[in-house]
Amino acid sequence: MSLLEVEDVHAYYGESHVLEGVTLDVERGEVVALVGRNGVGKTTTLRSILQLTPPRDGDVRYDGESLVGHETHEVADRGVGWIPEDRRVFAHLTVAENIRLAVPADDDVEDALERAYEAFPDLGEIGGRDAGTLSGGQQQMLAIARGLVGDNDLLLVDEPSEGLAPLIVEDVTEALADLAEDTTMLVVEQNLPLALDIADRFYVLDHGTVVDEGSTEGVSTDDERFERLSA
Amino acid sequence: MSAAGTVVDVLVSGLAKASLYAMMALGLTLIFGLLGVLNFAHGSLTMLGAYAAGLLMVTFAGSGFGALVWFLVAGLTAGVLVGGLGAAMEVALIRKLYDRPPIYQILLTFGITLVIDELARIVVLFYGMQPQTDWQAALGTKPSFIADTFAVLGGTVSHLELFEILWGVLTVVAVWAFLNRTRYGLVVRAGSEDDEMAAALGIDVRRVFTVVFALGAGLAGFAGALLMWDPAWAASVPLASETLLPAFVVVIVGGLGSFRGTVVAAVIVGMVDALMTYLFDHAIITFSGLPELTVFLILVGVLVVRPQGIFGLAEVGGH
Repeated sequence: MSLLEVEDVHAYYGESHVLEGVTLDVERGEVVALVGRNGVGKTTTLRSILQLTPPRDGDVRYDGESLVGHETHEVADRGVGWIPEDRRVFAHLTVAENIRLAVPADDDVEDALERAYEAFPDLGEIGGRDAGTLSGGQQQMLAIARGLVGDNDLLLVDEPSEGLAPLIVEDVTEALADLAEDTTMLVVEQNLPLALDIADRFYVLDHGTVVDEGSTEGVSTDDERFERLSA
Repeated sequence: MSAAGTVVDVLVSGLAKASLYAMMALGLTLIFGLLGVLNFAHGSLTMLGAYAAGLLMVTFAGSGFGALVWFLVAGLTAGVLVGGLGAAMEVALIRKLYDRPPIYQILLTFGITLVIDELARIVVLFYGMQPQTDWQAALGTKPSFIADTFAVLGGTVSHLELFEILWGVLTVVAVWAFLNRTRYGLVVRAGSEDDEMAAALGIDVRRVFTVVFALGAGLAGFAGALLMWDPAWAASVPLASETLLPAFVVVIVGGLGSFRGTVVAAVIVGMVDALMTYLFDHAIITFSGLPELTVFLILVGVLVVRPQGIFGLAEVGGH
């Protein structure tokens, strides 16, 4: 049984039909990339899994149980974490407070902070600063740190390299690769080299539906299967 | 009166007014900050708190220092009762309109305030009291020493003013400590900034909304208890609108949803109110309505010069 099964999911924004029957699965321990052009429904797929944009049709199963009809916080409680597009750190909370919020109620907060600062030493030096004052790269590290301390079995990562300088993207890739060692991930990414670098498998999304899938092994960015991404 | 005496008079009176304004406005700003709801029923909740505390005081309280203990019991009970009513309002009515534009929530809470005020009027009349005038029996439960005054540098300070300042400071410190020193306060601040992200971190944002609405309503109820003993306010049905207007002035001047802004604005409005009251009573013209007019002029001035208020963000809105 897959850890995550998305089956024929249809989702809408108002009357706009965004997901037109997305089907994909993620095995435990895998990193799966979801690639596609802008506006094809990648972020909406993650939002549908989290029940932030609940599917109108189809099913999302996590560890064999349907998530449809549950509240987002219940999905999170089951071990599904989210590193969203644009980081979405709490700008008026300090770095430390942002991390504290992500720590499950029965976990040791100080221990979690220590783990986060060990993984991202830069954050330890600016723990008392408001997150809104951080650079884009620092905010992305903070978003990943929240995912790290969240005790998640599955992380949904949305455009982790978006808007970051190439040098920072390298750091982010490294951090995600470390996290992937013991966390299953579904990563939405337009940066194809990064996606192929960290993922075991990939899905290509177009017009709200999966049009291709496969293993990343031996696949390069100039593979004709990815031509549609630049179309 | 000496210049020093005048300063003492204005300063103490201003701080007492500021304390009352802060207590009236804190719940309103908490609710707006997290839920994005402008609660027009806030004044009615304050009025209910005044009547609930008054009823407890009239029924059970003795005189002397014992009345102070009873005041604490009555105030906390009023806060809990009104807080419970606020929670019920949020769950049963307001929650259904979160996805609608803010005007729907404003109209709903305005409707609720009309219903509460009318019900209060009916009940008060039924028990043979005058809804339009101050409830003297509740005012009379105030121990006589609270109304006493003493001289400081030639000025006059009343125990009631100090009592109000004490409760104002305690309330502000308690709310600040809740928001900044507790896990739940952290959750509230996160939820007010990004409710989707908070939910994705496992926070039951809907429950937080209910708790905050209850807390905001409870603060209104407790403020009502304090006003019950102040002859300038006292329990009456019009107390609902009398407190709603200055609460809105404070919240808007401070910046909608800003705790710090609300406290600072309460001090500014309280001090200006006290200064203008003194000037209009002694120096310029004796006309009792003018200080209130000045308070509303502050509101107009701030809206024109800095519409987001002193500490508000340039754009505010719900979720």
